[in-house]
Amino acid sequence: MTIALETRSLTKQFGGLTAVDSVDLVIQEGSIFSVIGPNGAGKTTFYNCITGFYEPESGEVLFYDKSLVGLTPDQVTYRGISRTYQNIRLFANMSAIENILVGEHSRLRANWADAILHTPRMKKEEKAAVEKARQLLNFVGLVGLGDQLARNLPYGAQRRLEIARALASQPRLLLLDEPTAGMNPHESVDMMHFIRRLRDELGITILLIEHDMRVVMGISEQIAVLDYGAKIAEGTPAEIQGNPRVIEAYLGSGAASGLNNTAARPA
Amino acid sequence: MRKQIKLSLNAGITFGIITIFLFLVGFTSTVADILAELFHNKAATSLLGLTPQMLNMLIFLGLVGLWAGAFGSRKEKSRSDDPWGVAVLDSLITGLVHGLLVCGLVLLVGTLDLRGVRMNVYLAQVLPAAVKLFLLGKAPLAGGLFYIVFMLATGFLGGLFSRGIGRGSWRRRSAAAWKNTWESFNRLSFVTQVRGNPITRYVIYGLLLLLVFLVPLGAGQYWNYTIGTVGIYVLLGLGLNIVVGLAGLLDLGYVAFFAIGAYTMALLTAPAPHHLLWSFWIVLPVGVVLAAITGLLLGTPVLRMRGDYLAIVTLGFGEIIRILSKSDDLTAFTGGPKGVTAVGGPTLFGKPFNSAIDYVYLIFLAVLLVIFVTNRLQNSRVGRAWEAMREDETVSRAMGINTLTQKLLAFAIGAAFAGLGGAIFASRNQFTGPDDFSLMVSINVVAVVIVGGMGNIPGVIAGALVLKGLPEVLRQLQDYRVLVFGALLVAMMLWRPAGIIPSSRRKMESNKDTGVTETPKEGREG
Repeated sequence: MTIALETRSLTKQFGGLTAVDSVDLVIQEGSIFSVIGPNGAGKTTFYNCITGFYEPESGEVLFYDKSLVGLTPDQVTYRGISRTYQNIRLFANMSAIENILVGEHSRLRANWADAILHTPRMKKEEKAAVEKARQLLNFVGLVGLGDQLARNLPYGAQRRLEIARALASQPRLLLLDEPTAGMNPHESVDMMHFIRRLRDELGITILLIEHDMRVVMGISEQIAVLDYGAKIAEGTPAEIQGNPRVIEAYLGSGAASGLNNTAARPA
Repeated sequence: MRKQIKLSLNAGITFGIITIFLFLVGFTSTVADILAELFHNKAATSLLGLTPQMLNMLIFLGLVGLWAGAFGSRKEKSRSDDPWGVAVLDSLITGLVHGLLVCGLVLLVGTLDLRGVRMNVYLAQVLPAAVKLFLLGKAPLAGGLFYIVFMLATGFLGGLFSRGIGRGSWRRRSAAAWKNTWESFNRLSFVTQVRGNPITRYVIYGLLLLLVFLVPLGAGQYWNYTIGTVGIYVLLGLGLNIVVGLAGLLDLGYVAFFAIGAYTMALLTAPAPHHLLWSFWIVLPVGVVLAAITGLLLGTPVLRMRGDYLAIVTLGFGEIIRILSKSDDLTAFTGGPKGVTAVGGPTLFGKPFNSAIDYVYLIFLAVLLVIFVTNRLQNSRVGRAWEAMREDETVSRAMGINTLTQKLLAFAIGAAFAGLGGAIFASRNQFTGPDDFSLMVSINVVAVVIVGGMGNIPGVIAGALVLKGLPEVLRQLQDYRVLVFGALLVAMMLWRPAGIIPSSRRKMESNKDTGVTETPKEGREG
């Protein structure tokens, strides 16, 4: 199988704090891979290192065998990685369809001169772009809401619009940061099926940060656990559920070892 | 009941204090003067022993009295079932207290004035003339009694008004009726047909354009000059609209690019200091390109900054350009503090431009060009990238937008528009100098964009009309022009916080015709 994304002893420090501590991961093409860990474990920082927002202190990020270290976020997107955010970050004062069109930015070529002159190339491209945006709206189930301002959409629709926007850049790898945050169990299950559809129908590799264990255990093929920036475990859902180090990281060492040592740890 | 009386008393005291304060700061006589300007009734004819000036003041105080009465009879919760008597009693109490307080003031200043005390030594605005005006030329006691009756009467009327209309259901009913009529009008088949037809739009645009081109023919030299100034501010506003309204970069030194355009035109066409005497039509594009290049040069180091920092740095840049143009060391090159005179003008088919109306049409053409370019850019990949940056710069980078290039592009295009405006400006005035490029120009242009409606072409045009045109219309108010202008601006920002014409979004999902716009509800409600 092809490896979509690989990190080799990836390390990111903020002053004296090591937020990501020599993390090695291998994500197979077409898999659903989850990263879990307590709050502050460095999951989002890990994302930011992959997507070019942070430059890691040391280590490598390889995307289909090409290094991503040193690239800017827009270059990373161009290579085929797209992401969503933990707290929804849509372009609030633009319509839903315009949000998706912005997502297509890296796949469109028209420059300012094309725009002013309305060259045939630009017109053709623009028409196709709008058509594709409509299809994506349809895919995420937001037909009829395309002309609404993003901020006026209901919460669940905003989540799905954010995913549609991420899909618009035609990613090969999609990074989802807590896609079910703030959803009730029913909505979470819907989102879980939706994520599986992304992989099955579009063939996109999924990297997922998630707190809802039902979702994580339900769809992940492989799980990595981060704690204090370091990877403490990796394996299938069944392996992770029985791993004492994971239980310790989540519940404290007392719960794991049976000793009455429940010293509070920073959340 | 007691509580209601107490509330009315409070309202009366509040309005009494307000009226006294207005008198002490000289506002009553100022308003009288403004109304005299508006009504053109300065003449000394009198009515009921009152001069027009006094009547003007009484109109104003009467409005305050009406408001007091309306306010006094108002209660926290809806009281539509209240008997009329209670509301009227409340307003009478308010009016009485209001009148008593004003009466006290009249007695005090009137007596002091009679004894020859010069009150303006302590309170600059309490001039003998103002006191005389306020006392309506009467003795203190008579004046005081008059005010009690006056405030009672206006308060009573205000109470009736408030009870009848403010709470009244007929206001709501008439609003509903109006809405119904409008909706049924919209349902008429020919209305929907005409509305949905793109031809309608072109016809409206055509008529507007025709109107715009006809107006200067009927306007005189002075008004055409003003229209030209408004047009130049439209150019500047549309340029800054790209930078601030679309790309979200607060540029407070925008005047720099205006100056570059103006100086390019001046130095290349004027006989002094270089005697180059180039043709206007050649220099115009040169000025535009130079301004755009300056935009790129300034933008390269500066655009890594965000928000407030960018505003401060651009502010500094605007001042640097102005001070450089003023510099003694550069006098040989720029003409120094005295500026450049005899800037060349355009010739078309052998006819030189020599009146304001010629320039008005030139500016119209420039505005049309800029509108066309802005419109095309805004509805393209580039325009969307700008707006995405304005909304969330971090995310826009994650969407594959190279924010640095896009910002530079916005900066350069905005600068090019300013350069165009500057070049025409210098040529029209046949002069340019450092004083044309003060910080106030930058601030005015920012105000044009914000007052008009950010990111919106009609909004910017409306903003320029209001900010540069309205002061000229108000010129007959002379000294009070700025006061009235300020009040209008405050009112406008209160009622239309998103700008006079808020930005709207194109409909793209189902509608093939991408020109149809819809105003978002938020923009209207604020």
